Amino acid sequence: MSLNQIERAQGLRVRSTQDLAGGLFMIVLAFGAFVFTWDLPAGSLRQLGPGMLPKAFAVICAALGALLVLTSLRYHGEKLQGWSWKGIFFALGGACLFALTIRGFEFGPIRVPALGLLVAGPLLIAFSGLAADDRRIKELLIFAVAMSAGCILLFKYALGLPIPLAPWLLGI
Amino acid sequence: METFAHLSLGFGVALTFKNIALCFAGCLIGTLIGVLPGVGPIATISILLPITFGLDPTGALIMLAGIYYGAQYGGSTTAILVNIPGEATAVVTTLDGHQMAKQGRAGIALGTAAIGSFFAGCVATVIIAALGAPLTKLALLFGPAEYFSLMVMGLCFAVVLARGSILKAFCMIMLGLLLSTVGTDLETGQERLTFGVASLMDGIDFSVLAMGVFGFAEVLRNLENPEARDVVKAKIGRLLPGWDDLKQSAAPVLRGTFIGGILGILPGNGAVLGPFASYTVEKKIAKDPSRFGKGAIEGVAGPESANNAGAQTAFIPLLTLGIPPNAVMALMVGAMTIHGIIPGPQVMTRNPELFWGMVASMWVGNLMLLIINLPLVGVWVKLLQVPYRLMFPAILIFCCIGIYSVNNQPLDVAFTALFGLFGYLLIKLGFEPAPMLLGFVLGKLMEEKLRQALIISRGSFMTFVERPISAGLLVVAVLVLVIALLPSIAKKRDEVFTE
Amino acid sequence: MKKLVLGLAAAAALSFAGGAQAQGYPTKPITMIVPFAAGGPTDIIARIVADNMSKTLGQQIVIENVAGAGGTTGITRAVTAAPDGYTIAMGHLGTFSAAPATYPGLKYDPINGMQTIGLAGGTPILIVARKNLEAPDLKAFVAAVKANPDKFNEAHAGLGSVSWTTCTLFKGILGTPKINAVAYRGTGPALNDLVSGQVDFMCDQIVSVAEQVRSNTIKAYAIASAERSPALPDVPTTKEAGLPDYQIEAWNGIAGPKGMPKEAVDKLVDALNKALNDEGTKKRLLDLGTVLPTAEERTPAGFAALIKRDADKLTPALSAAPKQ
Repeated sequence: MSLNQIERAQGLRVRSTQDLAGGLFMIVLAFGAFVFTWDLPAGSLRQLGPGMLPKAFAVICAALGALLVLTSLRYHGEKLQGWSWKGIFFALGGACLFALTIRGFEFGPIRVPALGLLVAGPLLIAFSGLAADDRRIKELLIFAVAMSAGCILLFKYALGLPIPLAPWLLGI
Repeated sequence: METFAHLSLGFGVALTFKNIALCFAGCLIGTLIGVLPGVGPIATISILLPITFGLDPTGALIMLAGIYYGAQYGGSTTAILVNIPGEATAVVTTLDGHQMAKQGRAGIALGTAAIGSFFAGCVATVIIAALGAPLTKLALLFGPAEYFSLMVMGLCFAVVLARGSILKAFCMIMLGLLLSTVGTDLETGQERLTFGVASLMDGIDFSVLAMGVFGFAEVLRNLENPEARDVVKAKIGRLLPGWDDLKQSAAPVLRGTFIGGILGILPGNGAVLGPFASYTVEKKIAKDPSRFGKGAIEGVAGPESANNAGAQTAFIPLLTLGIPPNAVMALMVGAMTIHGIIPGPQVMTRNPELFWGMVASMWVGNLMLLIINLPLVGVWVKLLQVPYRLMFPAILIFCCIGIYSVNNQPLDVAFTALFGLFGYLLIKLGFEPAPMLLGFVLGKLMEEKLRQALIISRGSFMTFVERPISAGLLVVAVLVLVIALLPSIAKKRDEVFTE
Repeated sequence: MKKLVLGLAAAAALSFAGGAQAQGYPTKPITMIVPFAAGGPTDIIARIVADNMSKTLGQQIVIENVAGAGGTTGITRAVTAAPDGYTIAMGHLGTFSAAPATYPGLKYDPINGMQTIGLAGGTPILIVARKNLEAPDLKAFVAAVKANPDKFNEAHAGLGSVSWTTCTLFKGILGTPKINAVAYRGTGPALNDLVSGQVDFMCDQIVSVAEQVRSNTIKAYAIASAERSPALPDVPTTKEAGLPDYQIEAWNGIAGPKGMPKEAVDKLVDALNKALNDEGTKKRLLDLGTVLPTAEERTPAGFAALIKRDADKLTPALSAAPKQ
């Protein structure tokens, strides 16, 4: 196995869409960082300002991204592969549900009461579990309840972490 | 000879029944919280602080220290089994450790980590006992300029970490550095790239980033190709490393212990660099570097030993100078002060039974961790056989609760999900997250030290070259970079010719 | 709108808790938010005090560390929580007196927008310097700094920290706000570089520096309190050393959201008072170099007055400090 991707790609005669996308990704991120740190003073050598390093890093990121784009046009590499939206939606969505419900949330017109671990735990497991292709709903629901109970015992009682349990029901 | 007298005093303290029990309790709790992603030693030690009120200071500190190095042990378990580094020092372990687990060699990886850590812990204990006081001077030689150069050297290690394209590794390092600048500026209080979000004001939390780009992204990757994840449970090899494995890891363990032990003494969390440096060395001197990143046992043995050695020698600045080198040690200062012992240069002479008792208990603790962990290896490996459709929700809930408990901020969990998406994108684009995490960890320190050094030198960059230690570190950095780059430059030229 | 929601939430909590809020407070564990990472000076004091207060109240006080933005994130959460007496916070000089001048976008008003409970303890501030700095005493040091401000490097633990706040006041009094300030992430690294002589001086709490002063790895010029500290009896006060204007103490105190039930306030004040009179708790606090609060400072009104007094003292220097 080589250290260098180019070697791996030898023999293939397709340009690397992956590297091209990667390079553009770096450039976009760098550009964003540069724009959002625009206002920050760079300071002087004697007293570097808060903007100096973020801007410098952003410029280097963009330069590396440009280099990567050039490489992708010059050398062969891997192709871009497809996404799996299902995993993103259920697994990451589950984590977001946990974040929203654990101690409540208020964002403009959307309001979620603090439901605590008693609700957020099973919700997270049941929802994210839907992401698996071989899911079994009944098994998942039982697992969600059992696992949450275990977590409550472990984190809330054994380790004593200050996690809201069910403020609406138990007051803690 | 004096050392022996001190050590026998220490063992006299550490080997009382009560202190052995406290040490065991600490190691057990530490292992537990180390295994749980996110719940770090900081949260646990602070929760247990009031419980130690009733103990004598030595017993309390023995227990708290046990939690600390127990957590280091436990952290590598999670890194190997589910590819989640709980702390910066475990990032390297994910590279080859998790690959080993995927090949059905999880038991060997865990066993090697435990035995390597035990050896490193024993050596580090002796180093603290024999050389603690003189080595303290090393910590004082490092000013901001030296520190900055050390960080630059560390970033050059990241290039060697890369499994694929070096250019892409550079991209990730710089991205990590860029991410590290998020947060309120230390000097002026101005907000940088926080977009007004309160939980970003102190910067991105390491566990949020690490659990996102490693833990969550790995779950997404596994959900996508069911074949890859089933390999893990399909074949379970032998449970503990055999003689061949041990022979293969002996030299890396020795080197890792040395590297980690030295870096651990440096203030400002030099211990973070230990595993990275050890990995770099192992990969560079290996006959076949291409095995690294695909389950090389040296890539677990070396860094794990470096990690544990560093975790232990990090006690040197605390015990001999009274200055904590990292956040956990700062907490130990808190624990000592609560018990009426204000850490300072005189702890060793004024509280000898505490000092030497703690040193001796470290050895006892390492032995206990071995005793606790080796039988657990079987349990962990069995856990891998849980069907993935149930395993990943369990990983997710542990991560979510863990992240929540870091700052008690639900928004952190949402950010982790966001970084999970980011990490998934990186996987799709062929970028590796490990160099990014190293850049991220070193970035904050690097900026801080650069600015400090330039203020003190009144804006002269010559300070980095004029100071001998700093200059030496920069030379090493350049050498590492050249060695890492040469093969790929040569390859590229070949490629040009073949076209 | 927000108030309404909070009110509803409080009402809901109340109905679920069996309407037992007013009578027999507390009926469930109380959350004490510590706006800093665990293990710091504020966290330690909070845990020591809360441990004893829990016994008096008959309900556990759970410490919740909500770090961020110099402690203002946690205090914001505490003082905007439902004012039912079940969320309180342990703040300090920085979060209660200095924050309005340090953070322009602060989301709470420490003077008018919260319910003070009482002071838990004060910590003297020392001016310390590297051990081989020429100036033998505070007078000589002040003269040298005034004559040649550019020759000195001050270390501090980051904007908004106690050492930054108190040293900014020091520089304000000297009229030399532009001394080269070297920012560190926390007291530990700053102290390390002071011991090794990379920087020249800093101001910090006695608990952080006392042992180093006693071991002569650094030297102390003065203590910024009215009296010498029993922990370091040889260090003169700023008054004795010729800089009487520099009087500042870092303190920790408890506050909650405005509009808490009177019974809750009274019980918390009483519990705090009992904790501070308890021999075990007292000893732990004294070991930390803490100065126990006076009877006056243990009351809500006395604590509020202290916040106001120090805010007035700090605001001019902090507003003039080079930042933002």
